[in-house]
Amino acid sequence: MASLSIGAFYNPHLGAELVRAGGIDHLAMADPPAAGDPHWPAIRARYTLLLHDYLGQLSEPLDERSIERARTLAELYRTPWVAEHFQCLHTVDGTYNLNYVFPPLYTEDFLERFVRNATALKARLDQPLVMENIPGFFDVQASQLPEPVWLRRFFEATETGFLLDLPHVWLEAHYRVMKPERWLARFPLDRVVELHVAGVEEDRDLAGPWIAPAEPSDQMLGFLAHAVTQCPQAKAVTFDAFSPSLTAEALFRSVERIREAL
Amino acid sequence: MSDRALQDDVIRALADAPYRESAAWRARGLADPERVERFARFLARHFYYERVVHFFKYSRALAGVTGRTPEAVLTRPGFEDLVPSIVLGSRQTARAVAQLVVTHVGDAGAAIPYLGDLLQYEAAMMVVEAGPRIWRDGPEGKDGGAGSGERSAPERVEGTVLLELAYDLPVVLPQLLRPWSDVPQAPARSTSLLVARSPHGRVAVARSTDAVAALLRLADGRKTLAQVAHDAGLEVRELEQTLHGLVELGAVRFSTGS
Repeated sequence: MASLSIGAFYNPHLGAELVRAGGIDHLAMADPPAAGDPHWPAIRARYTLLLHDYLGQLSEPLDERSIERARTLAELYRTPWVAEHFQCLHTVDGTYNLNYVFPPLYTEDFLERFVRNATALKARLDQPLVMENIPGFFDVQASQLPEPVWLRRFFEATETGFLLDLPHVWLEAHYRVMKPERWLARFPLDRVVELHVAGVEEDRDLAGPWIAPAEPSDQMLGFLAHAVTQCPQAKAVTFDAFSPSLTAEALFRSVERIREAL
Repeated sequence: MSDRALQDDVIRALADAPYRESAAWRARGLADPERVERFARFLARHFYYERVVHFFKYSRALAGVTGRTPEAVLTRPGFEDLVPSIVLGSRQTARAVAQLVVTHVGDAGAAIPYLGDLLQYEAAMMVVEAGPRIWRDGPEGKDGGAGSGERSAPERVEGTVLLELAYDLPVVLPQLLRPWSDVPQAPARSTSLLVARSPHGRVAVARSTDAVAALLRLADGRKTLAQVAHDAGLEVRELEQTLHGLVELGAVRFSTGS
C-alpha cells in the first residue's frame, strides 16, 4: 500500500489555523468556500482538496444544473476524486425532506437506480467517483439484500471507488450487537479509496451513540488501524468532523492521533 | 407499491409525526416503531437546530446581551410539546418553532430597541424558507416555476412576506456578525422588507417600494399586468421592471397560459 494521505475537513472558522498548520495532507470540502473567506486562496494554494459536497441523491438522475455544479467545484478544488453518498433523503415530489443522510432501501430496484445514475454521473466527471456508506438506525422490512452485498454489487457494476465511513460501520455493528470487525469484514474493502474516521457520542433521542463532530476514541482508532490493513487500495484517511463547534485543538489532535495509530 | 414509493413512505413517516401515528403507516409494519420514533425525534431536533442557528444568527450574536441563545428552545419543554405535531419542512411547524425562539429571546427583557423587529425578521426568514421545493429540474432544465410558460397574469407566490418594521435592520445586520463591544444600533426609520423564496429554496430579502407593495397586494393570478397597473395607479412600464425583480426573487410567478 502506498503511503496514506492524512487529512481533515475544511472548517472555515478554523481557516487561519489551517493555513498555518503542519501535519495535514489534504482537506475535504463539505461546502463551497464563502465569497468573503479570507483564507480560501491560501487554503486552495496549499492543500490537496477533496470534493465532498451534497451533489444530489442518486436514486434519481442528477439534473444538468447539479452536474455542472459538480464539475465546477471539482475543477475549482482540483480534486483527485468526487464523493457522493448512498442516500435517499427527500421524496420524489419534494414535499418531505429529512435534511440528514438516510440510506435507500437495499433492493434490486434501488440497486439498478443507483448503478444507472452513478454511471451517468461518472461519465460526466473528469475525476473518479467514490461513494460513501450511510448508517441505518433501523432495518426496513422491504429491503431485500444485506447492505454489504448491495454495496459490493454496486461497486462491481459501476467500477466506482468506496469511501468507507468507519464510524458508520461501527454504529451499525453496535446496534446489531456485533463486533465491528466482523461487520466490517462483510463490506467490499478491496474497493476502498478513502476512509473517514471520527468520534461518536451518546444521543438523548436515540438513547445510544451516534455520529458526532468529536475526537475518535482509542477504540475507534484501533478499529481504523485494523480497517486500513484490509483496504489494499486505500489512498487517504480523513478526520470526518465539520461543525462550527469544532475547536482547532480537537482537529489537530485528532489528525495527529490518526497518524500515530497508523 | 414501487420500492421508490415505499422509500417515500418511510421518509414521510420520519418527517411527519401525525402520519407516523396513523393506522395507514402502522399497518405497513415496515420497521420497529420505537426505533422509528427515536430516529424521527433525533431528525426533528437536528432539522430545527440547523434552521434556528442559521436564521436566528443575528439574535444569536446578541446572546451575550440577552443571555439567551435561540437554539436553547430545542431542549426545552415547548419543543417537546410540539413533537407529536411536527412535520419537517412545513410552514406550520416552522412558524411554531420560530415562535418558541421569539418568545424565549424576546422575553429576556434586554434593552435592545430593535430586538422585537429583529426577531420578527428572523422568524419570517425561517417561515418563508419552509414548504415543498424543487430538488431537481426536469430534463429540459426548466423548473415550471417563475417565468416558465406563456406569461399571462402575475400571481403572488404563497409564503412571500412583506415586513413592516420600525427600525432599518439591513443597516445593523452585518455589524452584528462582526466583533463589537457596544451593541450596534439600528436607525429608527420605518422600513418595508420583502422576504421571498425561489422554487429551489433560496431565501432572499429586498427593500420594498410602493410598486412592490401594490404588486403583491394585487397579483392574484387573474388580473393582467395592465389591470394591476390600472388598479395601483401606476405606469405599466414602471411595474414591468419591478415585476422582473420579483420574479427573480421568487415572490411572484406567472400563471401558465392555457
